[in-house]
Amino acid sequence: MIFREVEDRDLIAKARKGNVESYNLLVSRWEKRVFNYLLRLVSNREDAMDVSQEVFLKAYQSLPKLDDPERFGAWLFRIAHNEAFSLLRRRKPEGEMPVERGTVGRQLLPIELSLAVETALKRLSEDQREAVLLKVYQGFKFEEMAEILSCPVSTVKSRLYTALDLLKATLCEVHHEL
Amino acid sequence: MSCEQYDWKAYALGELAGSERREAEAHSATCEGCRGELAHVRLTIETLAVLREEEVPRRIAFVSDKVFEPRWWQTFLRPSFAAACVIAAAILAHGFMMRPAAVDNAEIQAAVNKAVAEVQQRNEDAVNRVDKKVMSFYNVATGIKYQ
Repeated sequence: MIFREVEDRDLIAKARKGNVESYNLLVSRWEKRVFNYLLRLVSNREDAMDVSQEVFLKAYQSLPKLDDPERFGAWLFRIAHNEAFSLLRRRKPEGEMPVERGTVGRQLLPIELSLAVETALKRLSEDQREAVLLKVYQGFKFEEMAEILSCPVSTVKSRLYTALDLLKATLCEVHHEL
Repeated sequence: MSCEQYDWKAYALGELAGSERREAEAHSATCEGCRGELAHVRLTIETLAVLREEEVPRRIAFVSDKVFEPRWWQTFLRPSFAAACVIAAAILAHGFMMRPAAVDNAEIQAAVNKAVAEVQQRNEDAVNRVDKKVMSFYNVATGIKYQ
């Protein structure tokens, strides 16, 4: 007997009819990705958790408006993007994080490398950081990113490539200092 | 310096189609500048990948949220609730239909009295019959007419 995992679109169809258990299963499939995307974007665990909750609530309420269930992922991240930037706009501007540099002549520990990456990501603009998060960490295609961010593919590529150039300068420098 | 016509970021990010990809690979085999650029892009992406996904601190709770609770009328549409209603109705109907008639103590007492009277009458008749037989035997045996 072949067991086939229930597709997202089947869960969406049931959730649209008010089946909360189907929606909960959908949440359990996507919550980790959404939370990590928001965590890197808003840089605060509690805020990321609160916004995640809000995202899934709004997604449930807006499910009838979802035209193509096959594009649920991009649609969900579009909501997450809107919620995150709504929060970021409400926040007061924060001081720029200082860049932590690796110590010359020794191997960086994984935790130190993680900190270096986190710091490098925080130095990017929000738009650039989000482009990296969606592409490198969430694996969306350029077209999907354009849908999530409501902008042309050319803008997506411009933000992402600028971010990668900045990250390359910082992170490759860390590696060269070893 | 890498050659401008090749998009090494798109290549490293898996965004190039088959033919473009093969063409870029063929070019990088012969161009040291492009190989260096590709190596830097890959190193950047690999370094970014050290940042691991974090677990969600707590489950996103929806079942307990008010907005997800069914409206009052939706409760009646649930199969389990409907089945419970049918069973309850069946029990009530059975109770009404099979209810015993009201008990009248006077009727019972009259019936008992009647039955007792009949038994007493039967006993008296039996005794009278025995007495008559005994007297008949006595008369025959003694020749004395006993009345």
